[in-house]
Formats: sequence, C-alpha cells, structure tokens
Amino acid sequence: MRSPTNWTVLGLVIERESYGWELWKRFDLLYGDVLPVSEPKVYGAIDALLGRGLIELVPVPPGVPSVGEGGQRPHYRATREGLERYAEWVIAEARAHHRRSLLFARQLGALAHQPQDALAILDRYEQACLDDKGARVPTVRDVPTVGEFPFRVVPGLADRLASVYGRDVKAATLAWIEYARREFQALADGARGPR
Amino acid sequence: MSLLVLSDVCKAQMRGSRRVEVLRDVSLEIEAGELVAVWGRRRSGRSTLLSVAAGIEPPDSGEVLFEGRDVNARGTRILGDGVGYCYTGASAPGGRTVIDHVRSGLLARRVAEPVAHSLAYDALRRVEVERSNELTMGDLDTAEAVRVAVACGLVLGPRVLVIDEPTKGVDLLERDAIVLLLRSLADEGIAVLVSDGDGSGLADADRALTLSDGELRGKSTPAPGGEVLSLRRPAGTSSAV
Repeated sequence: MRSPTNWTVLGLVIERESYGWELWKRFDLLYGDVLPVSEPKVYGAIDALLGRGLIELVPVPPGVPSVGEGGQRPHYRATREGLERYAEWVIAEARAHHRRSLLFARQLGALAHQPQDALAILDRYEQACLDDKGARVPTVRDVPTVGEFPFRVVPGLADRLASVYGRDVKAATLAWIEYARREFQALADGARGPR
Repeated sequence: MSLLVLSDVCKAQMRGSRRVEVLRDVSLEIEAGELVAVWGRRRSGRSTLLSVAAGIEPPDSGEVLFEGRDVNARGTRILGDGVGYCYTGASAPGGRTVIDHVRSGLLARRVAEPVAHSLAYDALRRVEVERSNELTMGDLDTAEAVRVAVACGLVLGPRVLVIDEPTKGVDLLERDAIVLLLRSLADEGIAVLVSDGDGSGLADADRALTLSDGELRGKSTPAPGGEVLSLRRPAGTSSAV
C-alpha cells in the first residue's frame, strides 16, 4: 500500500474508532494543509484498509438499530496488524525523509565546479526555509476543540509534535546551510580545490 | 520611513587579539506591528545586532534611525524612550521583589511611586505573571524571568521591543507561550525584534532573517504595502503599558 492518504486514514482510525464523514473532517483539519484530500478519497481509503484487514467494522451491540433504521453509522477500528503496519510505515517514511535530505546534500555537492550556482541555490533554499510557516506555534484557534470532536483523544498533541519538530528541523537546516555556504564560498574564493 | 532603520551598519569586536567584524553592512527596517526574528549560531553577532539596534552601543559605521532620528546623535536617547531592551540574561538583584524590579525603570525616570507601582503591575498582568509580583527575582523560573524582563521593557511604553533570545533556557513546553506573548505584543502594534538560536521564534515571525559571518540575510525590509498598525492597548490597561 503506497497511498499516503490510506496510511493517514489508518492513523486517524488508530487514534480512535471513527466513521467515514468524521474521518474526512479530521483528515482535512489535521492534514489538509499538507495533504489535501476529497471526501470520496477518504471512503476509498476506508475500503482499501478494510480489504487489507488493517481496519475492521466495530460490531454493533445487540439491540442497536442499523444505520438504515436511524442507528449509528458504521464505525471502524484498527486491527492489531493495522497498528503494526502503521508503525512500520511511519518509521519507513522517516527514513525516506532522511534519505531525501542526504540525496539533496550530495546532489548539491555536484556543483563543486559551479560554486556560485550552489550559493544561489542555498540562498533560495534558506529564504524558503525562513518563509515557511509550517512550524507555527499552535494556537487555540488551530487546535480542534472538544466541541468539534468530542472524542478526540489528546487535543492538539499532533499540532504540538509537528510544530516542535518543524522548528528543530528549521534550526538544523539553517545551521547546515551556513556550513554549506562556507564550503562553497571557499571554493568560489579559490581558497580550496574540489575534493 | 520605517519605525526603526539600520543602514549599512558595521561593527567590529576584539576576540582575544583578533579583530572580528561581527556586523558587515547590515541593513534592516522594522515597522510598527512587526515581529522580526534574527537567527544565528552562537557568536554570530546576533546579540551585537540587537544591542546596536536598541542604541545600547553605537555602530562603527552606518546609522541607526528611530522614527527618523539618528539614535547615536548627541542628545538623542531612545533606550527607555521609545525603545525597550529586555535583559533576559541579566541577573537582577536577588532580594528585590518582582514588582520593585519592574517599576525601577519608572522610578529612575521620576515617576511617582504609586503610579510606578500601578504601571508595573499592569505590565506584569500583560505578560501574565502578576501573581508573582511579590516574589523575589531569585524565586522565578526561566520562563517567568523572561516574562518579567519583557514587562520591564513594556512598562516604559515602547514602540519597539528588543529581546535577545527570549526562549533560551526556557522549557520546551513554555517556549510556545513566550512566542505567542511576543506575537500578541506585535499584534498590538509594537515592533518586536528578537534573536533566536533554536528556531523557536522563527515560524511565528512576520520576517525571519539569518546572521552569519557578519552578514544579515533574508528580507531586510517590510513587505511592500504592509499596514502600519497604530498602537492599540488592551482594555483596562494604562496608556503607558
């Protein structure tokens, strides 16, 4: 399963038992800025997850009317396998992110003979990093209120984790850009030959 | 013209026997209502930049203008008179109470004691540490000490607040609240200039810049057409705070 939408829906189901429309709303609220998604796509993800046995329908207690009789909508919960596969996917994504960063750093190294071009790339990368608002401090307005999602397990936790992660990465990236700029500046000044 | 303008500022310092140019042709404009953050590594010159911007130390060359006035011209005083510098790292006299510490700047300016007390309390309330007003400075944790430092700057009714590393040493969970406090001050119309070493203050800033090898990089001027905010005060606080 490659679709990040499917994995994200799985994460939302792991967070708590949920039904289709609510999953879509939570998806949009939590991830809409980085992973826009339509309602049908969320229902498609639910089908895919059900088909792979990563989520399952929550059994309706005896005596509770079915959805067609005005009862509750079908709720989904994660299976044990769903939880394990999700953990593996999150770790794999983090590794892939790390690999992409290394790839970028090495590809920049290909510009050893064009240090001015590398410096221009670094300037643009730095500005993009400074302009990025993705790591804003979560405010009350940004965090889903209890009223919107009465069963939200830990309100705002995902926002805070993302915010602190984003800021730490930003500071580390700026420090790396400063280092890389010194390397290429030295090359541009002719103080050092290509390694 | 912007509220605070640094033009082609150069500044060198002696580090041991070595002369280091910590600011090289640095230009920066800050408008009322802006939160501007300058990121730099340790010894990058970020503290010197803030010190020069606040008029604490003069540049070797270039000029610093506050409301169009050269802050280093003879007879011009901006520190405490339009520009507030928050000494977050300075150790205050241990036995002094928080309220005494905050009002000391007003008393030095011959503000009557009851008025100074009231204004200091308002400033502490604005930064949400009024309950600590009778504690001694030594009783405060790092986050509270930063808030008190901001109150010390705020009590003098500045148009510009300069704060060196407001989140340094502050617990991770407390940092957000400090950043939101500074954001709210900017939203009230105060120009806020902060330095940053850990990335905490960058994302909520209107503009973030980096300082490295004496060079300031990033957007040195406010966005074109940016609105100049008038100073707005929360209801129930004095006009000076």
